[in-house]
Amino acid sequence: MGNFFSSMFDRLWGVNKELRILILGLDGAGKTTILYRLQIGEVVTTKPTIGFNVETLAYKNLKLNVWDLGGQTSIRPYWRCYYSNTAAVIFVVDSTDQDRMATASKELHMMLQEEELQDAALLVFANKQDQPGALSASEVSKQLNLVELKDRSWSIVASSAIKGEGITEGLDWLIDVIKEEQL
Amino acid sequence: MSTHTYKKFEEAVSGVLPDKMTVYQECLNAFNESPVNAKRCRTLISRLLQLLAQGETFPKTEATALFFAVSKLFQHPNDSLRQIVYLAIKELSVISDDVLMATSSIMKDVQNGSDAIKPNAIRSLTRVLDETTAFSAERLFKSAVVSKHPSISSAALVSSYHLLPVAEATVKRYISETQEAVSDLKTYPYVSGASDYYPNSTYISQYHALGLLYMLRNSDKIALMKIVQQYSGGNVLKNQLAQVQLVKFVGNLLQRDPNVISQFAPLLSGWLTSKHESVQLESAKLITSLPDRNVSPDLVAAAIQTLQGLLTVPRVTTRFAAVRVLNRISMVAPQKIVVCNPELESLINDSNRNISTYAITTLLKTGTSNNISSLIKTITKFIHDISDDFKIIIVDAIRTMAFKFPEEWKSIFDFLINTLKHGDGGFIFKNGIVEALFDLVEFVPQSKETVLENLCDFIEDCEYNEILVRVLHLLGKEGPTTKNPSLYVRHIYNRVVLENSIIRSAAVVALSKFAMVKNDPVLLNSIESLLRRIRNDPDDEVRDRATIALEFIEFSKSQPEAEVPQELINLTYSYDLGALESKLTHYMASNQDSFRTPFDSSSVQKLTEEERKATEYKKRQEQFSAKLSPGKESTPSRSTDADKANGNYSGPTMEEHGEDLRATRYAEELSSIDEFAEFGAIVNSSKDVPLTETEAEFVVSGVKHIYNSHVVLQFNITNTLSDVALDNVSVASTPEVGETSPLNELLTIPIDRLAPSETAACYVAFSKSESIVTEGFLNTLYFTTRELDPATGEPFEGDEGFQDEYEIDSLFITAGDYIKGAFVGNFSASYDELAHSEVAVYNIKEDNSLQEIIDKIIANTNCLPLENSQFATLDSNSHTLKVFGKGITGGARIGLVVRMIKSSKGIALKAEGKSDDAELCSDVVNELV
Repeated sequence: MGNFFSSMFDRLWGVNKELRILILGLDGAGKTTILYRLQIGEVVTTKPTIGFNVETLAYKNLKLNVWDLGGQTSIRPYWRCYYSNTAAVIFVVDSTDQDRMATASKELHMMLQEEELQDAALLVFANKQDQPGALSASEVSKQLNLVELKDRSWSIVASSAIKGEGITEGLDWLIDVIKEEQL
Repeated sequence: MSTHTYKKFEEAVSGVLPDKMTVYQECLNAFNESPVNAKRCRTLISRLLQLLAQGETFPKTEATALFFAVSKLFQHPNDSLRQIVYLAIKELSVISDDVLMATSSIMKDVQNGSDAIKPNAIRSLTRVLDETTAFSAERLFKSAVVSKHPSISSAALVSSYHLLPVAEATVKRYISETQEAVSDLKTYPYVSGASDYYPNSTYISQYHALGLLYMLRNSDKIALMKIVQQYSGGNVLKNQLAQVQLVKFVGNLLQRDPNVISQFAPLLSGWLTSKHESVQLESAKLITSLPDRNVSPDLVAAAIQTLQGLLTVPRVTTRFAAVRVLNRISMVAPQKIVVCNPELESLINDSNRNISTYAITTLLKTGTSNNISSLIKTITKFIHDISDDFKIIIVDAIRTMAFKFPEEWKSIFDFLINTLKHGDGGFIFKNGIVEALFDLVEFVPQSKETVLENLCDFIEDCEYNEILVRVLHLLGKEGPTTKNPSLYVRHIYNRVVLENSIIRSAAVVALSKFAMVKNDPVLLNSIESLLRRIRNDPDDEVRDRATIALEFIEFSKSQPEAEVPQELINLTYSYDLGALESKLTHYMASNQDSFRTPFDSSSVQKLTEEERKATEYKKRQEQFSAKLSPGKESTPSRSTDADKANGNYSGPTMEEHGEDLRATRYAEELSSIDEFAEFGAIVNSSKDVPLTETEAEFVVSGVKHIYNSHVVLQFNITNTLSDVALDNVSVASTPEVGETSPLNELLTIPIDRLAPSETAACYVAFSKSESIVTEGFLNTLYFTTRELDPATGEPFEGDEGFQDEYEIDSLFITAGDYIKGAFVGNFSASYDELAHSEVAVYNIKEDNSLQEIIDKIIANTNCLPLENSQFATLDSNSHTLKVFGKGITGGARIGLVVRMIKSSKGIALKAEGKSDDAELCSDVVNELV
């Protein structure tokens, strides 16, 4: 019986609701580092993700189910296998990698056209701001053509996963939007 | 939870498989849910696994969908769910695409997961890795191998076996960790304190590590010896399987180089007294399988003593294994194990039937002609109590005895026919007995009539069509040449009256053969009238066969000289079935003109009755000795051994089959070469004779093809170099006697280019007189080497290459190349019939055993050893070898009796040969060794 009530309360407060969040982006953008920065608050040494990592983390009374999918060309085609029930997409861009900005933009827009992601909010991290020669958030936004996005809540945040800057700010925005729109 | 809801998920027990599509749909739905219901997912995966285990499978797209769905369960931290997820991934990895998507997640568990799931994670990791991703797992494997937890270490080690074919380079990089794992004694962390009775680990990871080390090092002899030395000493290996493995390594080393025995003999004798029975057994098994001259008699005696001791231990498996080893020894050297007879006799009544069966068959082998009949009596009492499987083994043993003691055929026959008539048993068992009886008829001629008469009785009441048909065929084949053919006619005709159409048709064919008995018009008439009556049979096939037989009989009556009907009714030859099959397959496959060209059977080798018997006989002999030769028992495999243990001979192996096809293949290859077309058909092709060491840069073997008036030498050349191609490869063969040779070289066909690791053949042709010509050839290989550009695999431009030559061994055409083995039932009688005789005496100084000389003579003369004389008894210093053969061109018979005596000075041989053809006889006798 006790169980029953507590689960009722949980439902009221929305605690038991798990939110699925995908972290996508080209290889080497810093997705895995962001994931573990979120989960354990530390910088871990990573190697290229073959497949995906998934972690569950509690954030502001919410249970987040965060999927970090590998960004290598060979793995990108499988992203779509993990789209269903996704509340939000975090797209990570290496702000220093100007050469591949066009590729990133293409992958981003292609992904957003998927039926299953129509209601998902989008957060873009213009990552690696600690590095010299990094583009600013607005420049990245321009290169990625974010203004073209219609019918979608999106935001772009300058971040540095290594230094831990911008990550929480971005996530806060995302959680607010999700709470507003989907809960 | 109530029993009701509990039962709902237990359909598995009922044996009813869940519906495939339902499981598929439910899996997809449940796995994609958020949050995941761990318990429900586990149930669903177990159903999925149940389906897969039962052999169900999914199409690729569905399997892939399932795989992706399962991979989503990584979000749930539950260990039990994770374990079953690993199982699912392991199973699905075989049938699904894109399994690499699980790599990172699994790696994370290998690194950070709990000890409970790490082993599972490691095992499924190997399934998803490929050559390109394996290197990223190297560090994980390294630390898992040296993990203090035995389960984790074992999982990593055993998974590495599977990883070897995928990414050998990666596995090689943790060889030192593997070595560390061999000597590390790992215990389970959660068991506190070990006692003598319950050790807290079996140290199994030592065995696994040793196995992996072997796989990595086994090509390197020196490294392997080092492994044995390193781990045999002291008390390094606690695990008994690991110790057994070490014994096997020694066996492997001895097989490669018998001379290292001196180094290992003390080790082996130490293992004979090991505290583990399995180590004792393995060591005894190895010692007794070694060739006699390599191992001291003391060591063998000690091994047998160990085995004798193991026959009386309480553990059933040990007794079984020991008696099995003894059984194996009994086939080659029964006198060695006579000391074990008291123990073996007490095992006859062992409660385990496997053991008693082996004990009996072993006793049968050690038996001499004196005690055979008493042994058979013991078996007769016993055979009705045991199951079919063991009956078959016993029948098999008895069948072998018929070869060994042809003079004891009476008691053997009595046993067989009694069990056949009175014993219950399935088809395989009865068929086994009938086969044994057939062997008696074929190879022990004096038993023929008795066996045939009893078989006639047997078919009066036989429930198996197949056996009936075979017996009828045998009666038709052998019956007409007996003293009283009409006796069989009555029995056969009974079948026509009483049985179904299949048997009736077989009976008609058998009957018609009796009509061909010469000089018996009464019998001929009665057969004719019987056949006429059969023409009213309700079955088409039976009628057809009777009609055609009558036609033949009519024809041969009007033209007594014509051989056609004679041959059609009484086939004097049969086709080489293996060759015929391959030809037919080829014919069906190369259907160019929708079968308008009829199948050409003339190129298929025909075997006369005698030749067929000789090959059969040889196969039997090889079959018996194959069980003993240690070379064929590769160290890691156990399955082949198990097959043989059942005593079932499951048809010829690929190797033997290949032997059958050899002649046909050569004939095809050579007939496709225009230059040889005019030579006619090949009369005989020899076996491959190696002409270089197998480790040489160019491995060459020679084959001799004899034509009526030509000889073609075929040299198969393998280029083992990796970056050099050979151009214009040819072999210069010069007869040893030089100009005076009766052979004249006609032409040489070189190989244009021999690329690395390719094998090709070049030919040298000679003309010769029609008579038998023996000759030795000195051979030199000539070629131009061209270095290859590694990028293109083509020779560097402008590289002229340089000419080179390479000496290879001589090739001899001996009298044996003109002979094929032939079987005769009664050697001395046939031998006495032959007209020309010749005697030669040899003295062999080298230190050879009698057995080696025997093998050499058999190989040189190509004759068939008879009366079991191809095995030298071990203790005696003298032996008599009897072989028989037939000339390939004239069909002249030849028999040889070779007496040999071994003394301290060497071996003295006295060869007596008798033949229809004086020349053949002297050639063979004078070129024996």
